[in-house]
Amino acid sequence: MTVQVDADTRREIEDFLYHEARLADESRYEEWEALVTDDIHYWVPYGSGDYEPGTRVSFLNDNRTRLATRIRQLMSGVRYSQVPKSPMRRMISNIQILDVDGDEYTVGSNFVIYEHAVQATNDIHTWAGRATHRIRRTDDGLRIAAKKVELVNATEALPNLTFII
Amino acid sequence: MTTVVSPEEAPTGDYRFLIQEDRVHGSLYTDPAVFAEEMKRIFVDGWVFVGHESEIPDPGDWVARRVGLEPVLLTRGRDGALNVIANRCAHRGTRLCPQNEGNDRTLRCPYHGWTYGIDGALLGVTGPKGFHKNKADLGLDRPASVDVYQGFVFANISGTAGPLGEHLGRGGISLIDRAVQMSPTGRVDLRGGWIGQRVDSNWKMWPESNNDGYHVGFTHESLARAVPGSQYDDIVLGGEGKTSSTTRDHGLGHVELDFRSSYESQLAWLGTSREKVAEYCEAMEAAYGEERANQILWDGPPHANIFPNLFLGEMNIARIDPISPDRTEHFHTPLLLEGVPDSLNRRLLLQSEAAMGPCAFFLPDDVAVAERMHAAFNAGLQADQGWIDLSRGNQRERVEDGVKVGDITDEVTNRGIWHHYREVMANGVGRA
Repeated sequence: MTVQVDADTRREIEDFLYHEARLADESRYEEWEALVTDDIHYWVPYGSGDYEPGTRVSFLNDNRTRLATRIRQLMSGVRYSQVPKSPMRRMISNIQILDVDGDEYTVGSNFVIYEHAVQATNDIHTWAGRATHRIRRTDDGLRIAAKKVELVNATEALPNLTFII
Repeated sequence: MTTVVSPEEAPTGDYRFLIQEDRVHGSLYTDPAVFAEEMKRIFVDGWVFVGHESEIPDPGDWVARRVGLEPVLLTRGRDGALNVIANRCAHRGTRLCPQNEGNDRTLRCPYHGWTYGIDGALLGVTGPKGFHKNKADLGLDRPASVDVYQGFVFANISGTAGPLGEHLGRGGISLIDRAVQMSPTGRVDLRGGWIGQRVDSNWKMWPESNNDGYHVGFTHESLARAVPGSQYDDIVLGGEGKTSSTTRDHGLGHVELDFRSSYESQLAWLGTSREKVAEYCEAMEAAYGEERANQILWDGPPHANIFPNLFLGEMNIARIDPISPDRTEHFHTPLLLEGVPDSLNRRLLLQSEAAMGPCAFFLPDDVAVAERMHAAFNAGLQADQGWIDLSRGNQRERVEDGVKVGDITDEVTNRGIWHHYREVMANGVGRA
């Protein structure tokens, strides 16, 4: 189900998602990290994620501390799975406001990412799936309190996924 | 179009030439003829790790696996017995289960409706009047030999490999024992699910990479910078000849990176202390007595490969599936323990997520390196080019209690894998 929000709010949320997507595409790690809250949960589950995180192994299951480690590792310059950084572009669509709870919006969207895996194979990897964001309105603007990324092929063996998805 | 190359130029098939004491030829990673021969000699004629009995606790449970190129199901029968059966209808060869796991009373082929028991027996054929064979003769294909050690299930398709105990040997048995003794009940519980990493490299780079102590300070430098104080600091910071960790070749292709002597406290391998996991420590002391429990908690789980495809990767168990000469799938599951608090298993699972899989802090950088290696070799490499040097430390290798031991940066492990591989490929299993 979706909920109605006014046109300005919807536009604001869409702009926020497009901004986040661009920072991720361009591996602007610090700027991307500045968009998350201190209590973020960032999750790429196995399959559709119909389990409690931590009870079954996931592709990625970061709290704020682990996400900070992830960003530090990427910024070390020797995170070889992203040296050189993958050129990539993603398309986001089907944006739905799924819930409004106080100062938080739950937002669903579909995405397709074309990643040029330049580190070794030079293949184009296509990543498709659905993201569910919990976006919180803070004094500093909109921030990501949770992001769950369900890949359509998340039951399969996947190639390196060390960029920000 | 076929390119004809003389043996002198591209030395396909002569394993005693391609694998020497201190070097191996790069075409072994890329030559399709070598891959085809490996699938027969190692993955059909030899013992291969399939899964763990704790993955299928209930009757009807099954998980989909591969034994080399053979798609199989590991199932728990109605009678409670384990089965390894081909995931392929005995009629026309349709894959029966496209999913990774499930629980079913029967397996039914979508093509003509043939139905099998979860143990692989043919139960029913649609249109029985036209079927005049004996159903008992047409069950699903299955490996001729299946055996279990400490819950780890192994299969040998041909049935000619001899006893599993001979394949594991004293070294393999001790390594598996060291993994399961992390539990106070002596049993691991691999119910944390698997995550797969796809790699565009040959499968042999994985037993090698997973047990290469030399690369840790370089390939994983980014993690050392992001997380100072990991259990690998001994390698990263120790310097050649100053570390106490060792490489170990247990024979039969089973090799180990042994960090035990470099730990400075109990539970260093888990990045924690006794106070934080007191309940676990008490359970271990109750089970093993204080002295032995202290030793186990110091040593931690092993970091070792059981030839050819089982990686005991500390807090992870991994299986290595060859797909083609140029493609491998590397699956891992956390080493969860029976008889411990949920909080400890949760900690182990978090460690596993950090180490392995496409998003993790370690494995993806190994993947990038393996793919770069693979891309640099080709199947038609000339005999005088494309050699890989494995000589490191062979002058300072020593033998302790039948195990070859070297510095943590030495290629004792690579040589151990390759020299066993040479015997298997040149002579066959059991004829080395």
